[in-house]
Amino acid sequence: MGISETYSRGRNLAVSRPFVLVAVAVVAILTLDIGRRLAAPGGLTSAQLATFLWEGLVVGLSIGLAGVGLSMTYSILNFANFGHGDYVTSGAFAGWAVTWLFAGAGQFDLATLLFIGSVSTRDLGVSMLETPLAILAGLIVAAAATIGLSLLIDRLVYKPMRDDEGISLLIASIGVALALRYTIFIVFGQRTRGLTDAQSVPEFAIPVGGGGTLDVGGHELTLVVIAAALMLGVHLLLQTTKLGKAMRAMADNEDLAQVTGIPTERVVRFTWIIGGGLAGASGFLIALERGAMNFQFGWILLLMIFAAVILGGIGSIYGAMFGGVTIGIAQNLSLVWIPSEFSTVAAFGVMIVVLLFKPDGLFSGVTTA
Amino acid sequence: MSSEASEAERSEASKRAGSEATREHGGGGRSEASKRARSERDRRSVAADGGTASSGATRAADAARPDDSLLRVRDLDAGYGDLQILTDVHMDVGDGEYVTIVGPNGAGKSTVMKSVFGLTSYMGGTIEFAGEAIHGLAPEEIIHEGIGYVPQNDNVFESLTVRENLEMGAYILDEVPEEQIEVIYDRFPILRERSDQRAGTMSGGQRQMLAMGRALMLDPDLLLLDEPSAGLAPDLVQEMFDRIDRINDDGTAVLMVEQNAKEALGRCDRGYVLVNGENAYVDSGEALLNDEQVRKDFLGG
Repeated sequence: MGISETYSRGRNLAVSRPFVLVAVAVVAILTLDIGRRLAAPGGLTSAQLATFLWEGLVVGLSIGLAGVGLSMTYSILNFANFGHGDYVTSGAFAGWAVTWLFAGAGQFDLATLLFIGSVSTRDLGVSMLETPLAILAGLIVAAAATIGLSLLIDRLVYKPMRDDEGISLLIASIGVALALRYTIFIVFGQRTRGLTDAQSVPEFAIPVGGGGTLDVGGHELTLVVIAAALMLGVHLLLQTTKLGKAMRAMADNEDLAQVTGIPTERVVRFTWIIGGGLAGASGFLIALERGAMNFQFGWILLLMIFAAVILGGIGSIYGAMFGGVTIGIAQNLSLVWIPSEFSTVAAFGVMIVVLLFKPDGLFSGVTTA
Repeated sequence: MSSEASEAERSEASKRAGSEATREHGGGGRSEASKRARSERDRRSVAADGGTASSGATRAADAARPDDSLLRVRDLDAGYGDLQILTDVHMDVGDGEYVTIVGPNGAGKSTVMKSVFGLTSYMGGTIEFAGEAIHGLAPEEIIHEGIGYVPQNDNVFESLTVRENLEMGAYILDEVPEEQIEVIYDRFPILRERSDQRAGTMSGGQRQMLAMGRALMLDPDLLLLDEPSAGLAPDLVQEMFDRIDRINDDGTAVLMVEQNAKEALGRCDRGYVLVNGENAYVDSGEALLNDEQVRKDFLGG
């Protein structure tokens, strides 16, 4: 390629897509600035930078894991499910009721445990170190209960509307969201409750150079490991199993899937099973990592989940994973420059900038379910 | 609908079709067609069951029809939603036969094919395949009967690889039929070369081969092809028709809708001309090509 051609390509890019150049320039400047701050005495330490990145990864994977289910149901059922955030909450409440029941049976009143009521988290002592089996049981129940819930709601609400426009389904899903949220509110109350015993959560100090350490919490590590494993599992399911391939085929071209003999209703059911299971598991894990939850944490999280999914390209599960991590890291890394009150602004800022030059999201056109 | 009522309608329609058949057979080129070995079968008309005005020879051929017709469409009314497109359509495809449907735009050619595959609103009449009534069945049930369908547009899963597309073609089987994939690869060697490539990255001709390969994965008795030459570069069109010939030579019956009417009629055993959702002409492909009326009205002179 000649120089003049390169030049004219560059000029075309600058004229037609000025945002690309601006975005590249901004990223370059910020990277250089991080380098400068790291070098400056009394500036950013490598331990701080590592902490921002780690926290970003933790937040990002939790959002991404919840987003995978949302993206999947979007690509196969063709509607944005606003109830997804409350599926996350429902899973968390179901799972934690079971975890508490396991951890405190014989020690506390069963009803109090089941309703995740007023028990000193210190006395109950739930943590990965002390009660790993109770947490594992809770995780499984969280996923299973959310699968049951999403299949039930599909049968009652979405299936009769299967051939309707995406917008009707979207509005129905807002109704589902409200119904779920206030059912949880009525049963469990509006109190934000502590869940784990912060004292007994193990911490690992990882040296990161310059004498600093990155403190990795045991529950953060649990979330990262399980979320990564589940995402790998979804990837293998979609790429190697017959059902996964059928899901991708149906996301790609529903009419053709039908004439090919793929049982579309069965694929829809499995989509809810996987999407619901991941929503429930992510809700449980997010609550584990935060050590607290209330009846609307999923709903509040839904905004971030949508941001991640749209950033990655709605409908693409890899986009949801990648978008989640991008949003999480942007949010935390922004703390280098701006106070934490504005970190959410930074996350959405990144989303807007990406959408300016890639309006369909980063993974658009790579529709992998 | 009670069987009595449908019987009455059928004989009514047969009479009408019978009188049409006289006109159909009045066209030129019939003697020429009869020189061909397969013309005995070709000369069957729309007037299938007991057309009153056909010649004795045709009636004799018609009488044999119910036994050897693989696909048998009678008095078919169908459309989309409440909109009726097809009226009293008759169509037959014999075992291993190659049949083409031609006609002007909007004549309902593709609709016939979609109706056979259960993709339209069924409004009346019968569709029998291998002696079994299949009208009213869903596509996923019709697949089990041994019919493969290649839609005109969007007929491959773009984000899946070539091999995955073929695997989806055999979804209803418990195991991926490796031998059949090899058969398809032998028939379309380019697919073997591209087996791990995403279908969306392939050219129009390659996609069409993949779409046919997918539909052949269950080794159907009847292959429905909706405008297989649409959107292909001119030099690829001949190649595509050659491939269809070979699929047919290997024993698969073909029912094809084609815009490229001359080419299609020149190659098929029998052709149907459809106008306004009704049968207009039926004869051997050769005879239709030589029929002055058909040529003037539908083949551009």
